[in-house]
Amino acid sequence: MSEPGAGTTDGTGPTAAVETNTADLDVTNSDLAVHLDGITKRFPGVVANDDVDLRVERGTVHALLGENGAGKTTLMNVLYGLYQPDEGRVVVDGEERTFDSPRDAIDAGIGMIHQHFMLVDPMTVAENIALGNEPTKWFGMAVDRDRIDREIRDLCDRYGFEVDPDATVEDVSVGVQQRVEILKALFRGADVLILDEPTAVLTPQEVEGLYDVLEELTDQGKTIIFITHKLEEATHAADAITVLRDGVSVGTVDPDRTDREALAERMVGREVILEADSDPVETGDTVLSTRDVTVEDDRGVEVVSGIDLDVRAGEILGIAGVDGNGQAELIEAITGLRIPDEGTIDYAGDDITAWSRRRRIENGMAYIPEDRQERGLVMPFDLVENGVLGSQRSGRFASGGRIDWAGVRDHAEEIIETYDVRPPDATAAARSFSGGNQQKFIAGREFERDPSLVVATHPTRGVDIGSTEFIHDRLLELRREGVAVLLVSSKLDEIRSLSDRLAVMYEGEFIDVTDPDAVTEEELGLRMAGQRPDGEADRHPNPGESR
Amino acid sequence: MAVTRGPTTEVTPMRNAIHRARTSLEQRPLAAAVGGVAVFLLVLWTTPASWQTSTLRFAVPIALAAIGGIFAEKSGVINIGIEGLLIVSAFSAIVVVDWLGDGGATAGLPNLWWGMLIGVLVSVLFALLFAVVCLEFEADQIIAGLAVWLISLGLAPFISRILFDSPNTVNITRFENVTVPVLSEIPLVGYLLFDTEPQVYLMLAGAVAGWYLLSRTTFGRWVVASGENPKALDTAGVDVRKVRYAAVLLSGVFAGLGGAGFGLGTLGTFAGTGDTVINGRGFIAIATYLLANYHPIGALLGSFLFAGLNSMQDVLQAAGYAIPTELIRTIPHMTVIVVLVFVGRTRLPDAAGDHYESGDD
Repeated sequence: MSEPGAGTTDGTGPTAAVETNTADLDVTNSDLAVHLDGITKRFPGVVANDDVDLRVERGTVHALLGENGAGKTTLMNVLYGLYQPDEGRVVVDGEERTFDSPRDAIDAGIGMIHQHFMLVDPMTVAENIALGNEPTKWFGMAVDRDRIDREIRDLCDRYGFEVDPDATVEDVSVGVQQRVEILKALFRGADVLILDEPTAVLTPQEVEGLYDVLEELTDQGKTIIFITHKLEEATHAADAITVLRDGVSVGTVDPDRTDREALAERMVGREVILEADSDPVETGDTVLSTRDVTVEDDRGVEVVSGIDLDVRAGEILGIAGVDGNGQAELIEAITGLRIPDEGTIDYAGDDITAWSRRRRIENGMAYIPEDRQERGLVMPFDLVENGVLGSQRSGRFASGGRIDWAGVRDHAEEIIETYDVRPPDATAAARSFSGGNQQKFIAGREFERDPSLVVATHPTRGVDIGSTEFIHDRLLELRREGVAVLLVSSKLDEIRSLSDRLAVMYEGEFIDVTDPDAVTEEELGLRMAGQRPDGEADRHPNPGESR
Repeated sequence: MAVTRGPTTEVTPMRNAIHRARTSLEQRPLAAAVGGVAVFLLVLWTTPASWQTSTLRFAVPIALAAIGGIFAEKSGVINIGIEGLLIVSAFSAIVVVDWLGDGGATAGLPNLWWGMLIGVLVSVLFALLFAVVCLEFEADQIIAGLAVWLISLGLAPFISRILFDSPNTVNITRFENVTVPVLSEIPLVGYLLFDTEPQVYLMLAGAVAGWYLLSRTTFGRWVVASGENPKALDTAGVDVRKVRYAAVLLSGVFAGLGGAGFGLGTLGTFAGTGDTVINGRGFIAIATYLLANYHPIGALLGSFLFAGLNSMQDVLQAAGYAIPTELIRTIPHMTVIVVLVFVGRTRLPDAAGDHYESGDD
């Protein structure tokens, strides 16, 4: 995979550069818009940035690549004045600066677009763009709304944006909200734009649109720094990539002269298998089976129409499909969050259609929910408390109505260690962790329940590649131990490499159930768009009988 | 664990009716406004002038306290202490006038206006105390607000006993009517709006000023952002704490004007027994601004509704209807509940009641 000499990652420090076929960029003598020199930032118990150097050339897109918790966002918060570095210098336009607050950074021409947008939902687009920087008239007695509208129009013309300044922010799409954030920074005269995981919330079409915007901005002399953990994005959109690992910079590379595996290795610090490998395993009894399950959504529309499926012990059944074709409701019916309108669900020989959620959990059904912040975690609770959710009545952690907090705490710390949740602080609130680390913790909690069925929906969404690999390995390991796994994912490579059998769901029905190796990605894409495989007469193919 | 069970919402006829009333209010704001004005004119046409002037004068503490409350709550600080602010400002205004001399003037300014000034100042001081407790020491806003009310409820009658040997103060000579020439001749509304007491003018001007400040100025936008998404304001480079301090102090100014104006203009005295002469008007003010969905002009109109009911209760009692007075007294409060049920569109600021600390994630 990589060239001789690769993989010697002793990790003795930032200078111990990994010898791979990546080409380090030399930007020492260029025209630098931003130069972070030896930045160190410590938090209680953690060094988030350790002597990090970052040189960003003017008029380029510079990617900051690293896993969840590698210190990318911390570094950018230092540049944006939200944090003050413990050591090191911030140089903007060749001038050393000290930013005590975002105000100072804004004044120095730096704008930041956060992962979670900093917009006031009930306010209009124009009000948000001007917020904190409103031009006034009548000696400051009134906001000069005409001037704001004029300036927004000018910016839109210049960069080819289309936004309605009078629209309310909560009414516009996420893609437009991101444009509003960019406009907000430009309105303040930003020359350097920092984008934190800008594609995490976008649809594929919106991502393409964002790339166009970035190009337009750099063409007009703006400098972009964008934070990402996705290799494709970094190599696709960036002119230079700086890789961070465990708070340390492991070099800056030219994306055109670097291959993905080498970059992944640099980022994770060891060799990474980008595709999980699943050898067939002897399957056992049927653990979960549904017959003719029909589910209505909240509006009363039938979104799951007569689904039959079987999952055996030691088998992974994948459900592929474009989001919104009934997968979510089917999974809710199986996990007990929604009552099916018709049909039966059998689990380990019992008809569980009317069972409560609690009874399902107690009988060994683990569930990684789609929306981790809504259903997977209680955000203000710390990881100790979150770690016991679902097991709060089990004899392992509770007796006589009292919870054994010491035991729960040990359990949470075990999960944190095994699943590499960063920062490793069990007493921190769930909301203070990045999305990928939240997901790792949920996966750990559910996998360690000793389940006989794992229902995993988008288990690696927003998770970096190192952790994705780990979660995949754990899923395969559980399968080897004879656990039945029902996997829903919109990532095609993930679902193809993990699944033993693959069902494609379209408009509430299974279009096809097949051996994932027997179909090409193109065929799969067509089926996800509703095209049935040739010669398939049965309107309701049954995955339980396809073997 | 939250369990979603499909469409199980039962639609009872009652809920259905409420829902229809709500949506018609939401969907036709213009129709609602026109209807409101029509009802208003009808009321003006059919009711006695004495009842109307009384309504305006009794609306003063409710309207001004409501406008003050709007600023605090819009900025994210729920100030239920405005009841207490009304009490201390009304009381201290009367004390100052009595101390300086009833009917006289000091340093060229009539003593009544000194009373107004000091009343507002005392109210702002109490608001400052509340702001410090909430913003510096992260106290629960509801508890701190209740404390402001309870302290005022005890302090005013206590000082009154020291000064006047009674929980009730002496009577002072009230503000006199100020007549605006020409404008007061306008039929139907002239005598109401342009031949009235200073505190009523203050109320009308306060509502317009409050609306302007909230919707047209930079400060108003910061207040709204601070209550909806303080982090957005913080990252935009504005100090959320300062905005919230300013908003809470402003609620002290408005409530102070309301309390002092009520004491000096409408009543001319302060009674400290029971719930004091303020008698829950600060709490009705909160219901008023919720009803008005945080719109200062709407709060002014809403205060007319509650003050009007208050006056109606006097009229009913004076007319000698054999309804127990205790029951009649509940009318405004019952109305609050009924109105709040029908007006479901009140949208609380997202961050109302939450402490915000810059740098926390």
